[in-house]
Amino acid sequence: MPKPLQYRAGSVIYFQGDVADKIYILQSGKISLNYQDIETGQDIHDSVQAGEFFGVKSALGRYPREETALVLQDATVIAFTVSEFEQFAISNSRIILKMLKVFSNQLRRIHKQVSNLMQNEEQQNPEQGLFRIGEYYLKNRQYAQAKYVFGRYLTYYPAGKLAMQAAKNLEIAESSLARYGEGKGPAPIPESESRAGGGLSGTGPAAPAAAGGSGSALSAVAKAYYDAVSLLTQEKIPQAFSMFKKIVEMNQEPEYVAKSIYELGRCLYLMGKYDECIKHFTAMISTYPRHPELSNALYFMGQSYEKKGDKDRASTFYKKILAMVPDEDDAAHIKAKKALKLLEA
Amino acid sequence: MELDAFSRFARTYQKGEIIFSEYEPGDTFYLIQSGRVQLVKIIGNIEKILDILQPSEMFGEMAILEDSPRSATAIALDPVKVLEFNRANFEVLMMGNPQIALKLLKLFTKRIYDQKRRFMILTLEDPQAKVADVFLMLDETQPNIDKTTDQREFKTTVEDIAHWAGMNADQTRDILNHFVNQRRVEIFPDRIVVKNINDFQRFVNSRRKKT
Repeated sequence: MPKPLQYRAGSVIYFQGDVADKIYILQSGKISLNYQDIETGQDIHDSVQAGEFFGVKSALGRYPREETALVLQDATVIAFTVSEFEQFAISNSRIILKMLKVFSNQLRRIHKQVSNLMQNEEQQNPEQGLFRIGEYYLKNRQYAQAKYVFGRYLTYYPAGKLAMQAAKNLEIAESSLARYGEGKGPAPIPESESRAGGGLSGTGPAAPAAAGGSGSALSAVAKAYYDAVSLLTQEKIPQAFSMFKKIVEMNQEPEYVAKSIYELGRCLYLMGKYDECIKHFTAMISTYPRHPELSNALYFMGQSYEKKGDKDRASTFYKKILAMVPDEDDAAHIKAKKALKLLEA
Repeated sequence: MELDAFSRFARTYQKGEIIFSEYEPGDTFYLIQSGRVQLVKIIGNIEKILDILQPSEMFGEMAILEDSPRSATAIALDPVKVLEFNRANFEVLMMGNPQIALKLLKLFTKRIYDQKRRFMILTLEDPQAKVADVFLMLDETQPNIDKTTDQREFKTTVEDIAHWAGMNADQTRDILNHFVNQRRVEIFPDRIVVKNINDFQRFVNSRRKKT
């Protein structure tokens, strides 16, 4: 049980640096919390209001008291142990919510102070930072992760300074993943090695140099394709659909036509047009029997049948994927297995 | 926990899948229901593991506070199931689940402490004191460290120290080499040894502002 305690003026409830597990509420009297400002070393005195908690953070976080609690006028406080406080708080969620707000303000403030003092990498602008993370994963042949990061880059910064390079890297990640598998193949983007050696840990902006020099700027078709992919990730499905359709109709670069045909099927599924999705992928498979996205196409066909209530057909498709991709760690295999399990449940 | 009502917020990730990337803008935070999540950060040219989170732990919570970019990358270490929340449904979740609210409260106290400690390093003006204070911080926060003598061994790298000190790697290396010449520090590929942690403590104290 939390108990009321009496303190005389001039006494100290706890000292800065003490390790203790008590949390207090001031009932009556006057108490001051004394500590030094981190930045200036100046002494600060905060007075506690009646009804206010103190000693909460250090007790909950189990770290030393950050201030000295000095009694200015005879005071009555109620002392809780951490577990008493927890029980009390759980039945008073409003109190926790109020504390959450106070703490989140403090956290926001200290976070801002810290980032103002950071000089190097933390100061990097988020656009460049995101790109650099993608590069790191690509260089280390973590293709799936590189794919995710460059995909996000293109979603957030479709017209960004590094968008062309990001699109190119996304493609390298995708094709390396398909060709070699995760963690395998030659190390991609060797041209960035020299840059990394030079100054990644230095202060100067490192990334943008690459975009121009390599001489493989993205074609208009490729750019249209990645714009469409970006729309898709923003869940603007009909817009993405019509863009992919245009790429297919223009029929200029076979690679992007094939990719767009696959994406069209995915759009149809996402728009809930299951019959059309099945028809579309059936046609795709007969035109491109070795399409790199074959297993995904089969998966969407299975999903479409499932949505239509045709469980038997759905299961046939999932089983086809399992037979086609026997590697149990492969994403397609895992996905199909999971779908099959759900179907049987 | 009474979380069935929140099943519409459930998301699943495959092993190895990124949940969010460092620098990505974020307005969601997560509560792990099953599987483990690894938080990593690319420092220098190394992917550094910051933490491995278990079911019922939370991550991405800074997004509740502000629109700052993510400070680390979250990767599913197993097949992972999470509940995903945002600022809009935050209050509803907390009011209905005081257990989670309490957990978040504790997480905030830890974050505030960590950030304050970090701020103490950054406010030192003398770069040598900053580097020394990073070791003091590591000494305070690493639970399984041998404290029987004055000597301390840290599984850390120059890049790590530079990151915490908010300085670039070259300057940090210079300072560490200076400490090596003074025989206060030894640097190994996988660890850094501080010969006398109390000596560093006195040094940092003498450099901190007092009024």
